[in-house]
Amino acid sequence: MRPSRREFLKWVSASGITLSLSRLGAAKAAVLPPRAQLPGRGGWNPAANGAGRIDGVAKVTGAKLYASDFRASDLPGWPQNTSHAILVRAPDATHVYTGMDLARLSGALKPSVVVTAADLDKIGTRVPAFYAGDLFCPVGKTPIYMGQPVALLIFETFDAFDRARLALRDGTFVTFGEETGPVAMPDYGAYRFTRVAGATPDALDVYSPILAGWVSPGRSQMSPLPVWSPLAKETPALYSKAAAHGEKIRGELAAKNPNLLMLDREFETQSVDPMFLEPEAGLAWYSGKDESLELVLGVQSPYDAADAIAHMLGKARAPFKPARINAQFTYLGGGFGGRDHTPFVLYVALAAMFFPNHPVRLAHDRYQQFQAGIKRHAFKMRSRIGVDRATGKMLAFAADHVLDGGGLANLSGQVATVAATAAIGIYDIPKVDVTTVALHSRGVTAGSMRCYGTLQSMTALEVLVDEVATALPLDPIEFRRRNLLKPNGRTMAGNTYSVSVRTPEILDKLEKHPIWQQRAQQKSAARPGTLVGTGVACVTKDYGTGADCSLARVELSAEGRITIYCDHVEMGNGIGTALANRVAIYLGAVADEVSVARIDSYDVLGLVTSGDSYTMDQKTQDKAEKDPRWVPAISSATSASIGAHVGTHSAAEAARVIFRFGLWPAALELWSIAANDPRAKDWAKAQWKDGHLMMSGLAPLPLPLLAAKAHARNLVTGAVAHGFSRWEWSRARFPINGEQYRAEIDALAVRKGNAAFARIDRVSVRFPPTVNNQSGNTYTSACGALVRVEIERATGALRIGNAYTVFECGRALVPEVVLGQAQGGFAMAVGYALLETLPPFEGGPGNGQWNLGQYLVARGSDLPLRDLELELLPPLTPDEPPKGIAEVVMIPVVPAILNAIFDATGHRFQSLPVTANLLKGVLA
Amino acid sequence: MTKLSITINGRAHGPTDVRDDLSMNDFLREYLGMTGTKFGCGAAQCLSCAVIIDNPDGTSFTSPTCVVSAVSFDGKAIRTVEGHAKNGELTTLQKAFIEHFSFQCGYCTAGFLNEGQVLLERLAKTPVARADLEKTIAEALDGHICRCTGYIKYHEAVRDVILADSKRYLVANQ
Repeated sequence: MRPSRREFLKWVSASGITLSLSRLGAAKAAVLPPRAQLPGRGGWNPAANGAGRIDGVAKVTGAKLYASDFRASDLPGWPQNTSHAILVRAPDATHVYTGMDLARLSGALKPSVVVTAADLDKIGTRVPAFYAGDLFCPVGKTPIYMGQPVALLIFETFDAFDRARLALRDGTFVTFGEETGPVAMPDYGAYRFTRVAGATPDALDVYSPILAGWVSPGRSQMSPLPVWSPLAKETPALYSKAAAHGEKIRGELAAKNPNLLMLDREFETQSVDPMFLEPEAGLAWYSGKDESLELVLGVQSPYDAADAIAHMLGKARAPFKPARINAQFTYLGGGFGGRDHTPFVLYVALAAMFFPNHPVRLAHDRYQQFQAGIKRHAFKMRSRIGVDRATGKMLAFAADHVLDGGGLANLSGQVATVAATAAIGIYDIPKVDVTTVALHSRGVTAGSMRCYGTLQSMTALEVLVDEVATALPLDPIEFRRRNLLKPNGRTMAGNTYSVSVRTPEILDKLEKHPIWQQRAQQKSAARPGTLVGTGVACVTKDYGTGADCSLARVELSAEGRITIYCDHVEMGNGIGTALANRVAIYLGAVADEVSVARIDSYDVLGLVTSGDSYTMDQKTQDKAEKDPRWVPAISSATSASIGAHVGTHSAAEAARVIFRFGLWPAALELWSIAANDPRAKDWAKAQWKDGHLMMSGLAPLPLPLLAAKAHARNLVTGAVAHGFSRWEWSRARFPINGEQYRAEIDALAVRKGNAAFARIDRVSVRFPPTVNNQSGNTYTSACGALVRVEIERATGALRIGNAYTVFECGRALVPEVVLGQAQGGFAMAVGYALLETLPPFEGGPGNGQWNLGQYLVARGSDLPLRDLELELLPPLTPDEPPKGIAEVVMIPVVPAILNAIFDATGHRFQSLPVTANLLKGVLA
Repeated sequence: MTKLSITINGRAHGPTDVRDDLSMNDFLREYLGMTGTKFGCGAAQCLSCAVIIDNPDGTSFTSPTCVVSAVSFDGKAIRTVEGHAKNGELTTLQKAFIEHFSFQCGYCTAGFLNEGQVLLERLAKTPVARADLEKTIAEALDGHICRCTGYIKYHEAVRDVILADSKRYLVANQ
């Protein structure tokens, strides 16, 4: 069973709370945070020409876009004044929490409300399963992690709040008693991925996860660690088979075999912070009169945030249970996974419920964001690889991963499996055995930060591969080429990729690049007192989670104005611009208005769901899908590089419906082409050029003329669509105008003319089979990197001289955004490799004393701003679907830096970050 | 409490009673609702909170607002991100940031915009040699942290604005 990314708790029926989203629509004339009003095609709109983001003007003029920007007075219908809350957290997780000494908050500084664990007990809140653990540490218990909340302090005025937070800044008012040591908790997931390939590349696997299912080991009451042995009495039968194969592989690796080069290495990675620039913030107001909880939040997972809040309050006693929840979601000042399934939103809601009729703002400062924000997992990895000395072919690989998940489970199980199934990177290795376990610790909660899991496991792999190449010896690129997974080859989960695999092309590019060709020359020409080295690495990275949803509504007005609504979130990834450009492929013009992070615009579909899309069996899915409104999941977090591929999918499909059943028949009429004319079926031959629909031998038709005709004839002028991907898209047929329309969506509604949207029940559907849940990723993008470093012998100071990364993303919807993400990924990789680190426990960020200055991220001066060359491979075909790249562009840079450091110094670092002090130490 | 009088984007504010320990960032964001100036770290390390201070002598410089008290701005004239565009017309630098896709999430943009604008105005008064341009831009922008973009497109935008009007910003005959 694979771990679920989300818990679809069926709160609507269970709690009786209505997630009343329609009201958002009624309020749309006012200030909807995520709405990007564009200047229109007549005004200065660089996005219309592909030269700018749709949110560009708003962002350079300081418009209110982010959750941290909004106060009650900005929101229509809200009371004018904003109250403020402080979320007090425990800086200790080895002693009993005894309470707070708030004596220093006297007089005007006294909080209006103090909310503790005892208060939650009184009102009967529930902790959503995903966030299992006390929302507040009760007095008398040891906090389960550093930074666990202990109380909310709510102040009616900003002045009182501001003075109180200064008075409380040192954190010493949170008091502790007896030392207990850290609280022991179960692990967050343990898995074993074992594959034994058949005798030939075409033969069936002897054993693989896709054939046998994903397996987890047994557990012993005597130990917090899983029991990995296949023979122990706790061992489940399914696991035992995998483990038996795995132990055999390990035995072969351990055997004395002179023909086999075997390396056994340990590699450790550190905890780091996403360090998005906008600390988490939210605003909420509970109107007692209306029993309505209003929220303004900035998260990557809006649907799940609303779901979790509703569950939390679903069984609360009056007056703490809202009748409805209205949530508005904003742009994000960065995300990188740190706002995906963040528990922060729960406390925003609680602040409002405990101070009814007062809008309350909860906002982290940077210290609090370091103390509580979701982190990247620290890994400890041991890897063994066996390579045939004669052929240079990798024969077997075994690894053991241990992840520090921190205080709450969050997405640790998913991170562990993603890391494990990426453990052999771009290679074809016939025998693989990887165990992984994500452990609870008293550290700050870790989650799904950019490149989660794969950054760690593929960095360790690419450093190991470089060492093997040196030991054989073989040229590092040639060694990689000999072992590449072929396009139709099987991954370590036993599946094949369903998209292009362009690693051969990427290796060729790397090999021919001057940085690689001139590496020896540059090394020997190093300035006195410096060492020069060049490193290479190449990886492939999944995009998607295996249960991804896409929701969109596209509308075309009689004047030809295009409006797009989408449930995915803008966190800098350019989703709004990508939506506009992808829809323009079908409608001939960039949208006039794009509204992202909207989960309220698709009610007409009447979607229902049940079960867990990650774990359900085929029989359950077959039964459920008979309801034409049922889908395996409704909405996804914006994560896992799915923006281009998933986030824009349904908007594209909706636009295609508008074209096919709105603009195309309008064009036929304007061209006086009869329905029985063979040309009436030639919609695929039509092309847009400069806002005109073009067909050979016919007059160009401008979009406004077509839109006016479509409206006048009550043709399709709007569409709402939902798609679901489990490593392939759902497909369905819909009766439209007497035709069975097939599309890669599973729910559809259309608007004709100016009428209301009406749902079209699908007449058949094929959801991706549930066996795909046993697959590893099938959507993958590749990236290679070359890095040249120059290191001062005396100081260990490292400068990146120049660098090159080459990658592919299918059809780039917004090439400038793609390149920008690659540049940003490079910078984040440099920080991860050389600068960023957080101690895990005491002395680490959970103590509430960390900020920038202590925590170093890459600045411009750390980067080769003029000497970073990026190459984006053109799509294989003009219509190749877009692929996600926001993560993969970061990964190879890290091992390439480490391999360059080895080339320069002869020292192979096996942990991160490699600081100047460490370099100085090995050069002494 | 201290009286604060300040000119923001050409408009006089105050005198207003403010607490001595109120930060300028909170004065802008909480009391004036001017949230274009961001709060990033509260430690003057990221400079997403930077504003432009205009001196009476016509020179300008940027200052963080997160660690600086509001009252220390008494009598000063400042510019924030909200004040760059005039009558809806974006400045050359604002347009360049958009056309170069300089930002992604945009949270650091106000700080970069203010810093870049001060640099342009300084170069207009004191041009530099073309050979020193890269170093000049790098030194001007290096205090600002951007977590999304890798900085390159910010630098490109500033460079392009300068090179597009090189007579104004660069020493002649270079």
